[in-house]
Amino acid sequence: MNAAGAGCAHCPGSGCLIRARSVLLAPAARRACSSPGGPASRGSSSKMEQTCDDIDEMFSNLLGEMDLLTQSLGVETVQPPSPKESNKEYNFTVGFKDLNESLSALEDNDLDALMADLVADLTEVEQKTVQAQKTSHYSQSEVTQPSTSVCAAASYDYKSNVPVTTTGRFEDDLPPPPPDPAFNLPLPPPPPEPLTQEELETQAKADKIKLALEKLKEAKVKKLVVKVHMNDNSTKSLMVDERQVARDVLDNLFEKTHCDCNVDWCLYEIYPELQIERFFEDHENVIEILSDWTRDSENKVLFLEKNEKYAVFKNPQNFYLANKGKNEGKEMNEKNKEFLLEESFCGTSVIVPELEGALYLKEDGKKSWKRRYFLLRASGIYYVPKGKTKTSRDLACFIQFENLNIYYGTQYKLKYKAPTDYCFVLKHPQIQKESQYIKYLCCDDQGTLQQWVTGIRIAKYGKTLYDNYKRAVQRASLASGWANLATVKPAVTAGSSLTGTVQANGQILQSIPPARLEAQKHTEMTKDKKPNDVNGCRSVQPTSQPQTYQNKRASIKPPPPQRRSSAVSSTPLQPAQPKRGSAVFTSDPVTFPPPPPEMAEDLPPPPPDFCEDPPDFVPPPPPTCSSSTEDLLPPPPPPPPSQASLSNKPLPVTKKVGPPPPKRQVNTERTEEPKSMGLPPSGGGSGQPDLMSDLMKALQKKRGNTS
Amino acid sequence: MAGLKTASGDYIDASWELSVAVEELGPEAEPLTLRVTGDVHIGGVMLQIVDKIKVKQNWSDHALWWEQKKLWLLKTNWTLDKYGLQADARLRYTPQHKPVRLQLPNRRMICVHASFSEPVFRAVAGICRVLSIRHAEELSLLRAPKEKDKKKRKGPVLGTEDEFDLSGVVLPASAEQQPFRGMPAHFSDSPATEACYRMLSVSWTGLTPEHVLKMPRPSNLVEKAQINSRWLSSSRSLMQQDVRENEQLWLRFKYYNFFDLEPKYDAVRITQLYEQARWAVLLEETESTEEEMMVFAALQYHINKLSLSADPTETAGEQGMDDLDSALSNLQVKLEGGTSTSDMLENLTTIPELKDYLRVFRPRKLTLKGYKQHWVVFKETTISYYKSREEALGEPVQQLNLKGCEVVPDVNISGQKFCIRLLVPSPEGMSEVYLRCEDEQQYASWMAGCRLAAKGRTMADSTYQSEVQNILSFLQLQRASPDAPVAPDAEAMGTQWLVSPRYQKKFKPKQLTPRILEAHQNVAQLSLTEAKMRFIQAWQSLPDFGISYFVVRFKGSRKDEILGIANNRLIRIDLAVGDVVKTWRYSNMRQWNVNWDIRQVAIEFDEHINVAFSSVSAGCNIVHEYIGGYIFLSTRSTDKGRGLDEELFYKLTGGHEAL
Repeated sequence: MNAAGAGCAHCPGSGCLIRARSVLLAPAARRACSSPGGPASRGSSSKMEQTCDDIDEMFSNLLGEMDLLTQSLGVETVQPPSPKESNKEYNFTVGFKDLNESLSALEDNDLDALMADLVADLTEVEQKTVQAQKTSHYSQSEVTQPSTSVCAAASYDYKSNVPVTTTGRFEDDLPPPPPDPAFNLPLPPPPPEPLTQEELETQAKADKIKLALEKLKEAKVKKLVVKVHMNDNSTKSLMVDERQVARDVLDNLFEKTHCDCNVDWCLYEIYPELQIERFFEDHENVIEILSDWTRDSENKVLFLEKNEKYAVFKNPQNFYLANKGKNEGKEMNEKNKEFLLEESFCGTSVIVPELEGALYLKEDGKKSWKRRYFLLRASGIYYVPKGKTKTSRDLACFIQFENLNIYYGTQYKLKYKAPTDYCFVLKHPQIQKESQYIKYLCCDDQGTLQQWVTGIRIAKYGKTLYDNYKRAVQRASLASGWANLATVKPAVTAGSSLTGTVQANGQILQSIPPARLEAQKHTEMTKDKKPNDVNGCRSVQPTSQPQTYQNKRASIKPPPPQRRSSAVSSTPLQPAQPKRGSAVFTSDPVTFPPPPPEMAEDLPPPPPDFCEDPPDFVPPPPPTCSSSTEDLLPPPPPPPPSQASLSNKPLPVTKKVGPPPPKRQVNTERTEEPKSMGLPPSGGGSGQPDLMSDLMKALQKKRGNTS
Repeated sequence: MAGLKTASGDYIDASWELSVAVEELGPEAEPLTLRVTGDVHIGGVMLQIVDKIKVKQNWSDHALWWEQKKLWLLKTNWTLDKYGLQADARLRYTPQHKPVRLQLPNRRMICVHASFSEPVFRAVAGICRVLSIRHAEELSLLRAPKEKDKKKRKGPVLGTEDEFDLSGVVLPASAEQQPFRGMPAHFSDSPATEACYRMLSVSWTGLTPEHVLKMPRPSNLVEKAQINSRWLSSSRSLMQQDVRENEQLWLRFKYYNFFDLEPKYDAVRITQLYEQARWAVLLEETESTEEEMMVFAALQYHINKLSLSADPTETAGEQGMDDLDSALSNLQVKLEGGTSTSDMLENLTTIPELKDYLRVFRPRKLTLKGYKQHWVVFKETTISYYKSREEALGEPVQQLNLKGCEVVPDVNISGQKFCIRLLVPSPEGMSEVYLRCEDEQQYASWMAGCRLAAKGRTMADSTYQSEVQNILSFLQLQRASPDAPVAPDAEAMGTQWLVSPRYQKKFKPKQLTPRILEAHQNVAQLSLTEAKMRFIQAWQSLPDFGISYFVVRFKGSRKDEILGIANNRLIRIDLAVGDVVKTWRYSNMRQWNVNWDIRQVAIEFDEHINVAFSSVSAGCNIVHEYIGGYIFLSTRSTDKGRGLDEELFYKLTGGHEAL
C-alpha cells in the first residue's frame, strides 16, 4: 500500500485508542474526575494538520467508545460466566462506577444499539457544524464548501466504515485501517490551489473553532449507559445523556421496542433494598435521578406500563369528586372530564384534590404504626394533632414536598408489619438506605393509596403533570396514526423514488443495461424504504425527519470523494496528494471481504440517488460539482459504483442496528436483501484476539439474531 | 302646550301640576311646579324644567327620578301617561352620575363618579374603566358596614385620612385605552391623578400591625357570612338601592374566578387582587396553616420591599429585562476584559470560593462535644473542612455536598449567635451539621452560598450578591427592636404585620423573622409582579379559597346551616363544626328557581336531586345572584375580542324584575 496507511498503522492501535478512551471517559465519568478532557490537544500549526487533528480526535472519540465496547466483550470472552452471573444482578450500571464493568454487563444486541446511538450523536454534531459553516461562510461558498463538505463526508465515512474496515482488517491482515481515513481524508480537499491561502486559512480556522466548540459542548455532556429492564425479563441498554428527561428516554425506548407507545408506558425505578418503587415523571431528568443511586446499588430501572401514571387524567372524577357525595357515579362523560381537568389544571393555580383521612404512620425507628388524621394541601401534608380540630390553623405540618419523592412501598406487611400492603413512602431523593428521615405511610385500601399518591404528585408537580400527559397522548396518537399510515406509505415513496432514479439515470448513466437498471430500481426501492420503515417504527414524523436525513446523508456522503478520486484519475488537474489519500481510502473497501456476487450485480451505481438527493438538504454537493464534479458527470466507470456502494452499504447496517428492522410492513425478502449486502457473511472467521474483530463479531451475532 | 286657562283662572284642558325638585337650586328651594298634561313626553318635561331654572349649565347628564316608585324616567320619548305618572308623583331632576366614595380592595378610599341610573353591573364596569381594571364583571359593590359596627374599633381607620379623587377624570371616548407614559392616559393629567395611579398599582407599604389588629376579623362562619349580606344587586341601579351621593361603598372582587390575569395589562387588577388576597389572609377570612402563613409573609415582605422602589409606570416585563441586561453587560465586560481566550475561559469558569475558620458542630447521639474550630472551604456546592489551614491540601475531615440539602438559619442577634444548620442528604439519610459564623457579614456570605448550593448553584451565580444583601437586610430587621417607633420605612418595620394576629400572638418577633427569612429564600428572586401573582396563586390553592358563606336553612331542616358558594360548586357545611356535609357541582346542575314569595331557592341537579333552602343571613336575591354569576362567568370564552353577554348576566342573576 502506501506510506500514509502504513505510517499510522500502529499508532492508532496504541496511542490513539488510549487517548480516545480518556475522551470518552471524561464525559461519561465526569462525576468522578471533573477534568473536561475532550478538546485537549490542538496545537498543530498547519491547517491541514489541524483539521487532521480534529478529525483524528473525533475519530478517536468514536474509537474510544468502541474500544470500551470491545473491551467489555473481551472481558466477556476471557472470563465468561463469572462476571456475567454477578452482573445479572446489576441492573443498572452507571458510568462513573466502572464503565468497563458496566459494559461487560451489556448484551450483544445492546452494543448495536449503543453504536447506533453513538453514530447518531456524532453525526448530529457534525451536521450542525457543517451547517453552521455553511451559513456563516456563505460568501466564500464556492471554494470553501468543498473542503468542508469533504470534511463532513470524511467524518461520515469513517464512521460508516468502522465496522467494515475492521472486517477488512482481519480478513486481509491489514494494519488497522481506521486511522487511515482519519489521516487521509483531510487530504482530499481538492481546491487548495484555486483559493488564496489566506482565505483558506481563515476558513479553516473558523471551521476548526466551530468544530472545537461543538465538541467542547459535546464533551461536557455527561452520558450514562443505562440498562433498562423490559417486562419480558430482557434488558436493553441505552445511552442517556444528561440533558435527557424521562420522556426522551421513553421515546428512545419506543423506537427500540415495538410497543404501542401508549401513555401508560413509564420508566419505573425499584429499590430492592427499601422495597420501594415509583415511576419517573416524564419531565424528570434521568441522569439526575440515577446519580443519586449509590455505586453498589441494586436499584433498577424498568420499562413497563403503569395505569396509575396518568389515571387522574383519564378519570379525574375518581380523584377530584370521589369524596363528595355518594350519588355521583364513577362514570363521567368525556366532556365533563375535560371540563373538570380544565378547571383543575388550567386555572391560575392548579387545584389539588381535597384529600383527608386517617392513615397509618410508621413511627420513627419503631415497627409500630400509628393512626393519624392527615390532610393534603397544596403546601404539604398536614395532620391533626391530638385534641385539635381540623381547621387550618390547628393543623401541624407533617411534610412539605420540596426535595421529596413519593414511592410505593411493596410488601410492607411483611417487611415492616404494616397494617396493609397499601403503603407509600416519602423520602429525599438522595437517601438510599433505611433512615429515620424516610416517612412510611399506610392506607386502608388500594383506592385511598392511589388518591394519596396522585394527590401528592399533583401538589408537588402541578401543571407539569398535565403537560406531560398531553405530550404523552400526542406521542401515542402519533404512533397509532403512523401504524395506520405505515402500510400505505412505503409504496408511495418507493414509487416516487423510482421515478426519481429513472430520471437521474437518464442523465447520468446511459450505459447501464436495462437489467441492471431494473436491479437498481429494486435496490433503490429497498433502500428508500428503509428510512420509511425507520419512520414507521419511530412514528414521530417531525422528529424522525431530521434523523432520516442524517441517515440518508450519511449514506450519501461517502461516495463523492471516491468518485472524485476515480474521476481524478482521468483528469491530470488534481493534485496527487488527494488522489493518493482517497486511493488509499478506496483501496480499503476493495480489500473488504468480497461482496456477495449477486450483490455486486445488484448494486446499481448509486450516483443517481446521490445527485438527486443532496440539493434538498445538503448544500455542499453543488459547489463540489462546479469544481471537480464536472469530470464526474460522465458515466462513472464501473468500479467506483461498486466501491461506493460498498462504502455506502455498511452504513445502512450500522444504522439499522439501532431500531431493529421492522418486519411488519415490509416484505421480508426485501428487508433481507440489504442486510446480506451490508454484511459480508465472511466476516465470521476471526481467531485474532483483536478488539475490532470482537466488535465485529458482536455485530454479526446481532445480525444473525435479527435475520 | 298645556295650561290653557279660562278668564277665571281655571284650567280648561286636562293639565295638572307636576312638581319637580332640582338640587341645583339649593336644598331649601321649593320644588318647581310645571303644568303638564298626560301626553307630554319626558323630554318635553325636561325641556320645561331647564327653561324654568334659568341656570346656564350642562344639563345633559340630568334625568328625572320618580321617588315613590324608585324609578328613573330615562325613556325621553315616553309620555307621562305611559309611565303612569300622576300629580302626586314627586320627581327629582338630578344628575345620573354622582360621586361615591369607594373603598378599594387595598383598603384605600377613592372618590369617583358612578352611574346612579344604570344597573350596578354597568356602574361597576364604568368605575373599573376609570380605574383601568379589566374584567369588571368579577367585581361588585358592597355597602359599607353600618356606623355602629364602625364604632367598635377606635383610632383611625386605615386609608381614610387621605382620599384620592378621581371624580374629575374624563375618560377618552374610545374603548381602547392608550397607555401614556406607562399608565392609562387619563391618569397622566395631573400629579394628583398620577399619585392615584401609583396608589392603585403599587401596594401600600405603610402597613403596621395596628392596622391589622384594628380591622374586624370574622371569627367563625357566621361572621364570614355577614359580609355577603351587603352586596348590592347588580341588576338594579345604585339610586334604586338607596345609595346616596358621596356614600361610602366597597369595591371588591366578588366572584373568585379570575379570568386571564395578564401582567402586561393588569397592573391595577393584579395589585388590587393581591391586596384583597392579602387582607383575606391577614384577617383570616381565608384560613391558612402556619407554613402557608410564612410563605405569605415572605411574599408580602418581598413585595413591600420592591414596592418601595417601584415605579408604577414600569411595566412588568422590564424588570426581568434589566436583570438580563446587566447580566449581559457583565458578561461583556468579562469577555472584553480577558486578554486571551484562555484567560477568558478561566474567568468564566472560576467559581468564587469561601475559606475561613468556622466553628463546626455535628450533633450526635451520646456526645456532648460542642463546636470545634475548623478550616472550612466552600467550593462550588461542596463544603470541606480541615483541622487547620495547613492541612487544607490533604484529606478533609469531612466533605459535604450541599446539593439538595436543607439550610436553616439559627440566629440570635442579641446573643451574637450566627449559626447555619445544614441537613445534608446522603444515601444513609440526612446528616446534621452546624456552622457557626463570627459576625453578620461572614454569616451572610456563607449562608447565601449554602442556599445557592442547596439549589445546585454555585457562588458564581448572579444572584449570589443579592442573596447576601437579602440576608443582611433581614438581620437588620431582626435587630430593630419591636418597641421602637414604627417608621414608614419597610426595612425598619419588623415582621409582625406580615402575619395574621393569631400568629402575631403565637410567635415572638425573633421567632417569626427567621421563619419568614427561611420562606423568603424561595421567593427572593421574584419580580414584583411575579411575587404578586405567586401570592394570588398561593391564596387560590388554599382549601378555603373562593368560598362565599351564607347562613341558610335547608328545606326540611330545623337548624341553620352554612351554604358555601364557590366558583364550581355549592357546599353544605355544618354550622357548628364546620365540616363539609355535601357538595354539589354546577356541572351537574339542571336548573334553579327562586320562589320570591317564600324567598326560597330551589335547585335541581342531575339524577333528580332537589335542594331547596331559604337564606337567613342575606337576601335570597344575593344568593341567587351569586350562583347565577358564577354560571355566567363560566360561559366566558377565551376569545378576547368578544364582549360580555350582558343580557345573559341579567337573566342569570336578576330577580323577577329583570325578567
